[in-house]
Amino acid sequence: MDELVEIRWHGRGGQGAVTSAELLALTAIREGKVAQAFPSFGPERRGAPVIAFNRISKDKPIRARAAIAEPDIVIVLDPGLLGIIDVAHGLKDGGTLVVNSPRELSAVNSEIGGPWRLAVVDATRIARDILKRPIVNTAMLGALVKATGIVNLESLFQPLQERFGRLAESNIKACREAHKETLIMEPTPGAKRPEKVYPVEKWPSWKELNIGFVVTEVGSARGYQTGYWKSEHPVRDNERCIKCGMCALFCPEDCIRQTEEGYFEADDFYCKGCGICARECWTGAVTMVEV
Amino acid sequence: MGRRVAFESSCAIAEAAKMANIDVCAAYPITPQTHIVERIAQLIADGELDANYMPVESEHSALSGCLGSSAAGARTFIATAGQGLELMHEVVYVASGMRLPIVMAVCNRALSVPLSIWGDHSDAMAVRDTGWIQIFAENAQQAFDLTLCAFRIAEDPAVLLPTMLHIDGFHLSHVIEPVLLPEQEEVNEFLPRYHHPFVLDPKSPVTMGDFATPALYTEAKVGQDVALRNSLKVILQVFQEFGERFGRDYSPVETYKTEGAEVLLLTMGSFSEVAMEAIDRVRGAGEKVGLVRLRLWRPFPFEQFRQVVNQARLLIVLDRALSFGGPGPVCSEVQAALYHLRQRPQVVGFIGGLGGRDISVEGFQDMVHRGINKAKQGKLGEIEVFDVREQ
Ligand code: SF4
Ligand code: SF4
Repeated sequence: MDELVEIRWHGRGGQGAVTSAELLALTAIREGKVAQAFPSFGPERRGAPVIAFNRISKDKPIRARAAIAEPDIVIVLDPGLLGIIDVAHGLKDGGTLVVNSPRELSAVNSEIGGPWRLAVVDATRIARDILKRPIVNTAMLGALVKATGIVNLESLFQPLQERFGRLAESNIKACREAHKETLIMEPTPGAKRPEKVYPVEKWPSWKELNIGFVVTEVGSARGYQTGYWKSEHPVRDNERCIKCGMCALFCPEDCIRQTEEGYFEADDFYCKGCGICARECWTGAVTMVEV
Repeated sequence: MGRRVAFESSCAIAEAAKMANIDVCAAYPITPQTHIVERIAQLIADGELDANYMPVESEHSALSGCLGSSAAGARTFIATAGQGLELMHEVVYVASGMRLPIVMAVCNRALSVPLSIWGDHSDAMAVRDTGWIQIFAENAQQAFDLTLCAFRIAEDPAVLLPTMLHIDGFHLSHVIEPVLLPEQEEVNEFLPRYHHPFVLDPKSPVTMGDFATPALYTEAKVGQDVALRNSLKVILQVFQEFGERFGRDYSPVETYKTEGAEVLLLTMGSFSEVAMEAIDRVRGAGEKVGLVRLRLWRPFPFEQFRQVVNQARLLIVLDRALSFGGPGPVCSEVQAALYHLRQRPQVVGFIGGLGGRDISVEGFQDMVHRGINKAKQGKLGEIEVFDVREQ
């Protein structure tokens, strides 16, 4: 392997990006390599985009501790992140991008293909089938190993065993299955980076801050688009809905409002896809559907 | 034109707070507390001062309460000492980060253990880096005058920083001296009401004390540091105006008989007056020795300090606090201030006056001579604790 491989994980709070990075480091260290794993610390919540990192080397000590700006490998746990976050930012030419997506390899390639290998797997489906829930991190470890060979597939299983206990078996199965199903496309010579421009956060200089770090805009959840946290959204079956409003009562975002016809409708801007409305709807009118 | 009264320094500060017409004072009345808040409580109870007195359950709460009142735009005063300041510690940072112009008098005392209620500068040095403007007074008159100046400096729209006035515990806080009091009108003119640009107001709400991610924290703190450094300009203006109005002049670095001095002694606080006596004696004996009194500790007055000391051959620094395992805090500060100068005095540091131990006039004479000898012997880096029993 190369002297040093730098990896960036993109996921959402609760999807296990941080756990994946940890498991990968544990595995690499067990194999006698040098590795580190760390999350990007912050006020992350379930559903909000999160980042985690790995550095792995054969035997060279790793001293860098800063976030990885120019990774060799990027792994995207959530297909919904592709449109909203510049996941390939800084990804080195000749690097590897591993994406969880239900779409065809060629379709993903036309969105996020570039001068890197692209690996695609429908990890959400695999996780749903095997784990009965859409937690894709262990499946994505399998996809990563298939695409890069950064560690041996078998070496992953002991750490998985230790981490997941009675759930280990199904996680190992998901990992194996993803490893099998992952499709890989080598970069076409001269491939360009994706052109989509993402908004760059503009931070103020110290001169632009208010005295005493006072914030004058009144804080309000109204401007906070929790809607982009979701990987699933609620769909209502009007045949079944009795317009009781129970779903609205339980929605933690308080984003369900009654329409003119009397149905209870979730506001896409705020709905973070928690699924509580589907669970609380006692007529079974609401189902969660992938975005 | 004012009147001359006998006041304990603590009461002189309380009187200054009264004449500054403070709105709020918070205190937790237990040892180590001072007569300052006791006296203010009395003034309010007697109807001489129309202010809100917040009796709270700890020193931590006392300063926390002051955050609230100052954030609401009230002129806020607080006093503490030694361990009390330690218990406030985290809130001390909050006040400066929020840029609240609270004025706090600190009767400097030693810190436990051993338990000591007596004076030294350990408490002051422990809050050195908290972002407050810090001024040292040497006698009761200065304690009174500088309390007024502290409000004026803190509340200046270009400053808006909390300000600490240090007076030596017991050597100053409990000593009765003559004090000249100005007329109330004169104080009112010197100290008009002030307006903070951001006050707590339900009609236009703001967020104070918010959190900052790594992308913002540095910028927020740099803004605060620049404000503290720039406050020096305002401090100079306020001292000058005070001098013009009241006839007593103050300066960030003050001197005593430094003309042509080859050796300088540097002190802070009330011991400076004892040292002056010693300087008189050694000057009388024909030795070219002068005294530098550091009045402003934060922001450190680098320029003024360098101008005063750069012609001297030797600078002897007295620290009334230990920085365990390192040089005295004042000594390391002045050494850093001088390091880049081509022409600079040699520096010898002493630690002394710990936990209320006196240094007499003879003691300071001795310190000067020991300092000169140490420099001759090249023992510059050695840290000597003055007047310690070796056996
Ligand atoms: S809880 Fe179910 S039945 Fe009741 S309003 Fe909501 S969707 Fe309709
Ligand atoms: S999934 Fe349902 S309960 Fe959850 S935020 Fe969306 S509308 Fe509300």
